[in-house]
Amino acid sequence: MARLELRRLQKRYAGGANVLHDIELSINDGEMIVVVGPSGCGKSTLLRMVAGLESISSGELFIDGDCVNGQEPAERDIAMVFQNYALYPHMSVFDNLAYSLKNRGTPKDEIARRVDETSRLLGIASLLDRKPRQLSGGQRQRVAMGRAVIREPRVFLFDEPLSNLDASLRVQMRQEIRALQQRLNITSLYVTHDQTEAMTMADRLVVMNAGRIEQIGTPMALFRKPATRFVAGFIGSPAMNFLTLAINALPGWLTKVPAETTEPLKGELSVGIRPEHIMLTSSGSGHMDARIELVEPLGSESLVHVRPNGHETRLVVRHAGTELPTAGQLTGLNLQGPFHLFDRHGQRLATRPRLADTTCPMES
Amino acid sequence: MSTFQRHRVTPWVLMAPQLIIVLVFFFWPAITALRQSFYVQDAFGLGETFAGLANFTRVLSSQSYHEALFNTAIFSVSVALGAMAIALLLATMADRVLRASRAYRTLLIWPYAVAPAAAGVLWMFMLDPTLGVLSRALEALGVHWDYRLNGHQAMALVIIAAIWQQMSYNFVFFLAGLQGIPASLLEAATIDGAGPWRRFWTITFPLLSPTSFFLLVMNTIYAFFETFGTIDTTTSGGPGGATRTLVYKLYQDGIVGLDLGGSAAQSVLLMLMVGLLTLVQFRYVERRVQYH
Repeated sequence: MARLELRRLQKRYAGGANVLHDIELSINDGEMIVVVGPSGCGKSTLLRMVAGLESISSGELFIDGDCVNGQEPAERDIAMVFQNYALYPHMSVFDNLAYSLKNRGTPKDEIARRVDETSRLLGIASLLDRKPRQLSGGQRQRVAMGRAVIREPRVFLFDEPLSNLDASLRVQMRQEIRALQQRLNITSLYVTHDQTEAMTMADRLVVMNAGRIEQIGTPMALFRKPATRFVAGFIGSPAMNFLTLAINALPGWLTKVPAETTEPLKGELSVGIRPEHIMLTSSGSGHMDARIELVEPLGSESLVHVRPNGHETRLVVRHAGTELPTAGQLTGLNLQGPFHLFDRHGQRLATRPRLADTTCPMES
Repeated sequence: MSTFQRHRVTPWVLMAPQLIIVLVFFFWPAITALRQSFYVQDAFGLGETFAGLANFTRVLSSQSYHEALFNTAIFSVSVALGAMAIALLLATMADRVLRASRAYRTLLIWPYAVAPAAAGVLWMFMLDPTLGVLSRALEALGVHWDYRLNGHQAMALVIIAAIWQQMSYNFVFFLAGLQGIPASLLEAATIDGAGPWRRFWTITFPLLSPTSFFLLVMNTIYAFFETFGTIDTTTSGGPGGATRTLVYKLYQDGIVGLDLGGSAAQSVLLMLMVGLLTLVQFRYVERRVQYH
């Protein structure tokens, strides 16, 4: 297994487009790192650079301390699972699994033994004679996994491997991949745009946006303390709500205020509140009143979309009761912490608790 | 359904142009040739007598027919394999061209727009023993080039001209086939440790096999029939019958030599041969094709 070190990696295309800026990341032995971000944020390019399928414009990539910038994909000893699986359609499952071993001149009996072992590990032992087109989506996914596992590579790369599966199979395969990765203890880099997949699979999560890393941390750390407004909005489902407030007129329900800094704060800030931290109450008795615009029942809970009076933005409330509010009604909202404060550039603000009887220093 | 049943005449009217062309230019001559192959015509074309299989036995036992058959075999195999191999090489390279790829591809397709006869003349000029650019180059290399005297060189000339033309056709299909292979397959093979050469033979080539098979059939038919113009304008079957293929001999015996019965028998034999060859290709080669 291996340690992976990315130092100030950049990708520029001829014609000037700069798609990755100074990517710094170090991945520990056996760790599962999930890179998540919206489409076009550069996450797949990053993965392809690690694989050696894209050249590195500047910066260095180390595997186990060796700079591999100039190495061919095969020399890097990595394995990759592609979004469309990239199984060789004219080869049987056996030949698909054996291909990389054959290319490396592994003896025949050794190949047979490893294919047998791998196919049993993945539960595809009965499919060895079939062609990929005769397999279901989940089976193809397993063969693709097997092809990556069989070589016992130093690093696993996954490029959105579950996005072609239907929802229930996706949940199952997500668990299987995670279990397998932990069992084999292989350093992994996993790219996805699905935040649920990212949260559930990652040891550490890397959130990317527009070619930059926004934040790196464990899923729960990112959920509890997002460093930027982008991360706050991206991690968690349904997404966090944001209210824009004038700094010199912060409302009474806000239990935290920006910590005093050397630079005076002016203008507006953004307060992030998760949908589970807003309660519906009778109109007039909460922190603010709002009009209910849409109710989405999910069974055990409902998502209630409301528009608070005096605000442009719509908020989503996670409503646990089985009694559904009706659209068009007026309702009260109780806003509870934790609140996340961001400045106008989207950076998280350091905060201090607000004492009940003191006012915000900026308010005067 | 009922709409179609009510219109009994319209479908026939709509199909008529196609049907008339097929009937007049294929079935009529084919049936005439088949009938003629059993008759012997007199010298003035005034009468004919039924001859049974005499035309066939005469053709099959003649020395010149055997030579033409041998020439055709050499010619067809060379043209089919040569045109396909060169086209595959060019298509593989064109597939990797990123800048100005459209212009590059268009240029490679152009030779197909040139008529076979013109293609033949083009190469004849370049390889003319006294005027040709290429002849001079060959002379400088110490090769004495005169296709008018040397049968092998004459054969080489018509093969080159035919390959040059057919290559464009093959190129279009190979390029389309290559572009139908997902890039991720080749990337996966790269990661799996296969070098460019091995990637080509284990991934690209098997995945192109449906295209290659189709082209093998088309190229065989092309080499058998459509190269008539190329041969006629350059060597006229010479020297000494060295480039006389079956289709050219058929023309010489029938149109020039006025042996209608014998030439009809040859055309029936040629048709049977190509039919049989195609059948063999479908039966034996297609088994190894990887449709996916």
